[in-house]
Amino acid sequence: MNRFRRQLFFGLFALLAATAGALWLNAKYNALPNYAYLTGWALLAGMFVLTIYNVRKKLPFLPLGKSETWLQIHIYLGFFTTLLFLIHLNFRAPHGWFEITLAWLFVLVSGSGIVGLFFSRVLPRRLATRGGEVIFEKIPALRHALKTEAETLSLGTDTKSVVIAEFYTKRLASFFTDPKNFWKHIVESRRAVNALLAELEDLRRFANDTEKEKIEKLTALVRQKDGLDYHRALQLALRLWLFVHIPLTYGLMIFTALHIVLVFGFSGGAR
Amino acid sequence: MSEQLPAPDFDAQNYARPNQNYICGHACDGNACRLGPDQKGNCRATAECKPVLKLKEGETKGRWVCTRTGGECEFGPLPDGSCCKPIPKCSPVPTLRLWRGRITLAVVAASCGVLLVILGNPPWRNNFISPGVVSDPHSGAAFAALASTNHLNQSCGACHVAGNSGPNPMIHAALRADPGVFDLKKLALAKAEEPTAIDSSCLKCHSGRNVHQPNAPQISCSFCHAEHQGKVIAATTDASCSFCHGDVAKMAVVPRYNNPPPPVIHHFADDHPQFKFITEKLRDPDSLKFNHALHLTGTTIPKLPGGEKLDCVFCHQPDATGALMKPVAFEKNCRVCHSLQFDPETPQLQLPHGNVDFVSAYLRSLPKQYLDLAMKLGSADANDFAAKKLAGLRMQFGDGEALEQRVFFSTATFGPEAQIGTLSGATRSLFPGCAYCHEVKTSAAGAAQITKPVQVERWLAQAKFNHAKHLNVACATCHDAVHSKDTADILLPARETCAVCHSPRGGVADTCAECHTYHKPLLAR
Repeated sequence: MNRFRRQLFFGLFALLAATAGALWLNAKYNALPNYAYLTGWALLAGMFVLTIYNVRKKLPFLPLGKSETWLQIHIYLGFFTTLLFLIHLNFRAPHGWFEITLAWLFVLVSGSGIVGLFFSRVLPRRLATRGGEVIFEKIPALRHALKTEAETLSLGTDTKSVVIAEFYTKRLASFFTDPKNFWKHIVESRRAVNALLAELEDLRRFANDTEKEKIEKLTALVRQKDGLDYHRALQLALRLWLFVHIPLTYGLMIFTALHIVLVFGFSGGAR
Repeated sequence: MSEQLPAPDFDAQNYARPNQNYICGHACDGNACRLGPDQKGNCRATAECKPVLKLKEGETKGRWVCTRTGGECEFGPLPDGSCCKPIPKCSPVPTLRLWRGRITLAVVAASCGVLLVILGNPPWRNNFISPGVVSDPHSGAAFAALASTNHLNQSCGACHVAGNSGPNPMIHAALRADPGVFDLKKLALAKAEEPTAIDSSCLKCHSGRNVHQPNAPQISCSFCHAEHQGKVIAATTDASCSFCHGDVAKMAVVPRYNNPPPPVIHHFADDHPQFKFITEKLRDPDSLKFNHALHLTGTTIPKLPGGEKLDCVFCHQPDATGALMKPVAFEKNCRVCHSLQFDPETPQLQLPHGNVDFVSAYLRSLPKQYLDLAMKLGSADANDFAAKKLAGLRMQFGDGEALEQRVFFSTATFGPEAQIGTLSGATRSLFPGCAYCHEVKTSAAGAAQITKPVQVERWLAQAKFNHAKHLNVACATCHDAVHSKDTADILLPARETCAVCHSPRGGVADTCAECHTYHKPLLAR
């Protein structure tokens, strides 16, 4: 069974299990007076398994199964837990500051997880399509190297072109110094770099042969820098969603613990 | 355990260490040192080599030798044994992983801090943890006064064990809860009818839980009534009613005094039983004789004084609430057509209505009535006027006894007996006699006795109904009055008629609570 079929099989199985569970719980609504308590405990168990995936990643030396398997379980259980969350709420909006905050935390954690799943499915393909293979941690060094090369080309002592030097100082220096166009790369827009390349093309009209050669080299460097920014933007997006997902997960668990205390301390067994 | 070897193209000189907390500050220049920072973010760079002291035979001081990889440097170690080429220290940069950890810690700390601050401040705490607005009956000044009377806490503590307490008592209350926090078995096997701990809070003010039928099990208050759902306590849902009424097993064991068990009901349009007045063929016990069909469709029915046609609304007027109809009254609704004129030639004199004795007394005082009338009309000879009128009556009916018998017992509308009240143009209808509309009996002493009409106020006594909510429906849609000739007909709709609208297909609410109230009236408890 190849990877796609296996994922499809597990996906369908999880969906069927979730639907059957939801229908069963809904049918049992009257028969189970403590419906909210039981679905709450099931939800907590699901959230606990989802949370310890992060712990498992920190303990790679323990024989706890393959990380890939854990990830698949994490994804399917995440979807199931979201459905369980709606069942726990009985498909109604929560009331009160605490419960609304708790619900929003859950929504943000689930939502960021879904965004992360989407990124991890889409962005690597886009990176592969764009070509090149860059290690994220080495991007600053590569950017620095490109900047040095562009500076040497534009401002080096052997350069006698004021036009290129001025253009570099005004337009290219900041482009090579920092990462650029994060959001444009995320939405796959090339408008900014095309505008810069068009300006370089315009510059060719006022250049002699030597300068044209330099401009061609600069154009190649701009393209390389843009490719580097593209890799940085997409790889950063692949990491940044975790900045929402993981911290809020722990916040959610703290609020959940208080929720349990409040439910049992205040409800007095009320249905 | 097999040792994992690095890939052949692994550049150990340029290892980026993404899984560590810090990377070399020179990494962004492409000059990261091989050693890298320590776990706390301190640069570990020292010098290009670590000189070694070599002692030749007989020497005491020895000589420092450069150990730089790639060959000795030009100047060699300094006299104190340190390298002459120290590596400039960098400011290690936190990795994304460390930032994520810091943000996680910040979120955890902020969550704990915010919760502790809020839970430690009673006014904030109660507002924050309340799962919704408390209903009006359980909040406000009136509730506080009642709670004070009952020596209860006037806020959350009136109902909740952990109410108005800080984090510590809350945790203690949670750990002492019944069912317990981890008592999953009890939670799963609990039955709805079992009282819960919170019910005891309800009973501090509400007297008992015997609020439904006497043979019904006592269920937990919270099973039907969800608090903190808004200013009005949420209406009981069909699910709560169906818990018993939709369960064959539960209904089968309900004792019903030799009657069959109550029917199982799921939805009004599907399996709600037909109304009893139809299944038991009940008849209206009213003794008044009234023909709805004649009054609504009869060709002989005259127009009302204003020229309008007689319709339902003329007699059936809503009460002050609009929910029910006022009783039909003779003076207001009947007299406009049905005058009680007994002397055809004297329309000014009419019989009183409502009391047999008054009618008898009136008839026996006719000489006085005629004299008063003559005085009122300004007749020159009142005695002569009265004598002529009485003589006319004697000619028509004989003596006064016969007149009284005719007034009370005659039902004839044609022939000589129907002459009472007949005067073309003067009166608008016949007055055949009281018995035409009323049930008139004779007492042992021979006096007339009229059975008092009974207008049933509510036929479906266990259901609520509001005419005001049904004003967009024509009367005839529900009340088949145009085909009813008999007073005994109960002109109420069948269940199917209601279900035309009150069903999922009709689109109008069809919940149990729409018509029924779970709690029996206080006096019946």
